[in-house]
Amino acid sequence: MSKRVMALMLALCLALPGFAQAAKVKIGFINTITGAEAPIGENLTNGVILALEDLKKKGIEVDLIKEDDTGKPEKSLSAFEKLATRDNVAGVVGPYTSACANAVASRADQYKVPLLVPVAAKEEITQKGFKYVFRLNAPADVYSSVLMDAVLALDKPKTIAYIYANTDFGISTVKTAKDYAKKIGLHEVADEKYAKGAPDFRSTLSKVKSLKPDLVFMVSYEVDAITLMRQSKEIGLSPKAFLGAGAGFTTDQFLKQKEISNLVFSSSQWTDDVKWPGAKEFYNRYKKKFGKEPSYHAACSYEAMRIMAETAAANGGDREKTRAGLKSGSWKGIMGDVKFIDYDKFTNQNRHEMLVQQIQNGQYHTVFPPKYAEKTKPIYPFKWK
Amino acid sequence: MTFSVLLQALISGILIGGVYALIGIGLTIIFGVMRVINFAHGDLMMVGMYLTYFLFTLAGIDPFVSIAITIPLMFLFGGILQKVFINRILGTLPQNQILLTIGLGLIMSNAMMLAFTSDYKILTTSYSSSSINLGGISISQPLTVSFVITAVITVFLYWFLMKTDTGQAIRATAQDREAAQLMGINVKWMSILAFGIGSSLAGTAGALISPTYYIFPQVGSAFTLKAFVITVLGGMGSIVGATLGGIIIGIVESVGAVTISSDWKDVLVFTIFLLVLLIKPSGLMGKSRM
Amino acid sequence: MRNPITQLTGQQGLTPVTTIIALLALASLYAIPCFVESPYALHIMILLFLSTIMGEGWNIIGGYAGQYSVGHAAYFGAGAYGTLILLNMKGIPPWYGVWAGIGAAVILSLIIGNICFRLRGPYFVLASIAVAEIVRLTVLNIPSITNGAEGILLSDLPPFKIGERVITDFISKVPFYYIGLTLAVFTILVTWLIQNSKLGYYFQAIREDQDAAHSLGINLNFYKNVALAISASLTSLAGAFYAIYVKFIDPTTVLPLDLSVQIVLIAIIGGIGTIFGPVIGALVLVPLSEALRSNVIAQSLINSGLVKEDSGMGVFLKEHLAHAHVLIYGILVVVVILFMPDGVLGFIKKLAARRKRGDA
Repeated sequence: MSKRVMALMLALCLALPGFAQAAKVKIGFINTITGAEAPIGENLTNGVILALEDLKKKGIEVDLIKEDDTGKPEKSLSAFEKLATRDNVAGVVGPYTSACANAVASRADQYKVPLLVPVAAKEEITQKGFKYVFRLNAPADVYSSVLMDAVLALDKPKTIAYIYANTDFGISTVKTAKDYAKKIGLHEVADEKYAKGAPDFRSTLSKVKSLKPDLVFMVSYEVDAITLMRQSKEIGLSPKAFLGAGAGFTTDQFLKQKEISNLVFSSSQWTDDVKWPGAKEFYNRYKKKFGKEPSYHAACSYEAMRIMAETAAANGGDREKTRAGLKSGSWKGIMGDVKFIDYDKFTNQNRHEMLVQQIQNGQYHTVFPPKYAEKTKPIYPFKWK
Repeated sequence: MTFSVLLQALISGILIGGVYALIGIGLTIIFGVMRVINFAHGDLMMVGMYLTYFLFTLAGIDPFVSIAITIPLMFLFGGILQKVFINRILGTLPQNQILLTIGLGLIMSNAMMLAFTSDYKILTTSYSSSSINLGGISISQPLTVSFVITAVITVFLYWFLMKTDTGQAIRATAQDREAAQLMGINVKWMSILAFGIGSSLAGTAGALISPTYYIFPQVGSAFTLKAFVITVLGGMGSIVGATLGGIIIGIVESVGAVTISSDWKDVLVFTIFLLVLLIKPSGLMGKSRM
Repeated sequence: MRNPITQLTGQQGLTPVTTIIALLALASLYAIPCFVESPYALHIMILLFLSTIMGEGWNIIGGYAGQYSVGHAAYFGAGAYGTLILLNMKGIPPWYGVWAGIGAAVILSLIIGNICFRLRGPYFVLASIAVAEIVRLTVLNIPSITNGAEGILLSDLPPFKIGERVITDFISKVPFYYIGLTLAVFTILVTWLIQNSKLGYYFQAIREDQDAAHSLGINLNFYKNVALAISASLTSLAGAFYAIYVKFIDPTTVLPLDLSVQIVLIAIIGGIGTIFGPVIGALVLVPLSEALRSNVIAQSLINSGLVKEDSGMGVFLKEHLAHAHVLIYGILVVVVILFMPDGVLGFIKKLAARRKRGDA
């Protein structure tokens, strides 16, 4: 009961900016600004910039301490140690990559500093029972299950081929996909890992083509998605559907490749036409300010920063109270309903519902789950433009 | 495994191998003349990619045409790097030369990042994913064009090194730096020329791969490693060897991916590399320096 | 007999004064955790020790024996994986598991040595890179043992007990500080012992002139392999220490070419072939890269009031300098190589020598 009262009070505080007008609140933000992971890290930076603007409007001054971890776990640790013990932040948003979030998570409990992971996908991060670690995004397994669900709503495909990056994300995503495929009797015809950043997939793709799969399931977190799809077209690989998991299939750059990206299904944490409050506005503002379309990373980091800063401000920057606030609170915003709960093996995990989008005529359209989708119907089977 | 899949793998391997060869030739020339392992080679390639990208998006010049601009610019850039930095450490300890090029690579990639953000840049031409279909085998159009360009450049370079006075002076420097100096060859100038040629070749490789690949500041490191493998495989300092090495690596990667497995193909590449080193440490064409 | 401290200043001979200074310095390092409570400061010190171990490890083969391996990530990874695999799968505590890591590294070094030492100069450099890449790809592709690309995440270290008494549960930084410091001192001692033994002379003879060393009857292959094995086991110690400290490893963090380069960098920046070169290298590189990374320079300029936070300069410093730290790092590497070809230690020695001449 008291929890509910507290949540109510909290909601009240948030609704009345005058109430929450605490002193400046100090928040840490660990991101990958340099190094090979930097291209995606930049989206997170931009999302946070917009969040700070909005927080300011609500009367919350955020003293943001930005830390670059260069994508290396030990640097991420340095950043976190500094934030926790030297800068005395109320909470930390980040790190971006799974490897770094893995390393930092246990330290959050050690220093009792609330850590809100915005977008790292590795399941284990919130499976170790850490009290101070929260995660906004859905973990890696959801990337594949939602895609499978979307296709099953359309057809009963028989065979599937996997082509995926030999990375943590690629492997954990495909693992879930395979479990799922087994359950529904989908026969696996190919299992091809590739090295991230390879320039030539033609031979692998032609091998897959000769096996004539109904579905081609690709996992690419990076722009390899573009190379893969370009060469699929070149080779003439033409399954009933291309399923793309991972950021590579959800970027602005991928969208702009109209010739090759049309009709590809992809799973995403966020889309601009989803029926979540403020999503469209966020898209417009982002596009205006940064001259490009936001990726789901930007939306995740925006919302993570907003939630962390609001909660910390409402609790006067007290770490313990902020943790309690994160645990008991619930939010509604551009990422839909957010609530950090314990379920299955997870602790403090937001049970985020992922979306499936399809590119039609140079636009991403949310097509699944139906309750979040606009009127656009998915187009199936796939055909090259 | 059907025959057509194998043939497809072989052909794409040869075509991508052409681009690899170009990277390798650049590295081999630099090594041949100065005995410096250029760890910034991939970063030079990256600079070439950005040049190509901006010439395409800002001036609308096709990547295959813009190499006419990229080559001299990269030559100049490489020459300046050599004159200002690398010439100063030529006689010193080998580990310092390695580190200097590593430092230069870091500077290049991070300066690029500051200037143009770390965002991926995609260069999309009308032919980025078009191919010619020959009896069920698809042949990538952009790769075919770049293969032809690579061949022309290689032949020209070979002619330049064999038949012209400057070319012979470069080769003399490569064979014996001190003797060349005694013969009145300006070895510092030859080094500048060699580094200029090497970086313009790396830049060209970058330009040629741009229409089918993507560009970001850290893109070079993977290619640096590849260039090392190719160069040692072919025999350091040998142009023919590097050409051969590039194509062999291309084929091994491509055919290995369909016959063995796509995740072990890179191990295969490195194993072949080691085997060659063990059996013939001077590489495939080691004897004939350039 | 050459003493570490005199080595630093370039003087010969062991004086009581320098011995006392060395012991005092060591004692104060051991006493630091009693006074310094900041975990951040201890963390930086731990990274410093880690870099020292890596640098000293490389120095044996690279600095003394003159074989520039750019594949030391393989040994670092062997130590890290050996320790964590045993801990994770069999629950074997790291202080036993580390021996498996060292063993793996030594075996690996013998294989690598036998392949690569046929080659000289730049060929050796490239071969060492290739072998390290093979190791990385192999670890990546045998997930049943190594967990592949997903890496190994450690949740807790077993407490260290003697009898029934728990010495430490590894929650605070202090035990890691002492482990790191002790390992660093150990590697320095090993280096010192080698430098002052026959082994050291053989290594240096090989470095100076392989053919001459051979004609003197030094078995080149044997001594190169010995140097590499010692070097590999020290480097694997660093790997094991990293693994239990960071508690997460995967092929891209403990086995990449990047790491090999970083290891070489520590030794060369400091000055190779000297006992304290790698220590100096670590002392320069670790605080510097952390200061650049965390942008303390810009922050202190702003805090001191010299630059206003809202002014153009302030925004520039805060926003852009944060992105430029690797660039600055690169520039520093280039500057050191161009102007201090013998590393920072060599530069200091030269300065000291010049001053002495000036005094005289």
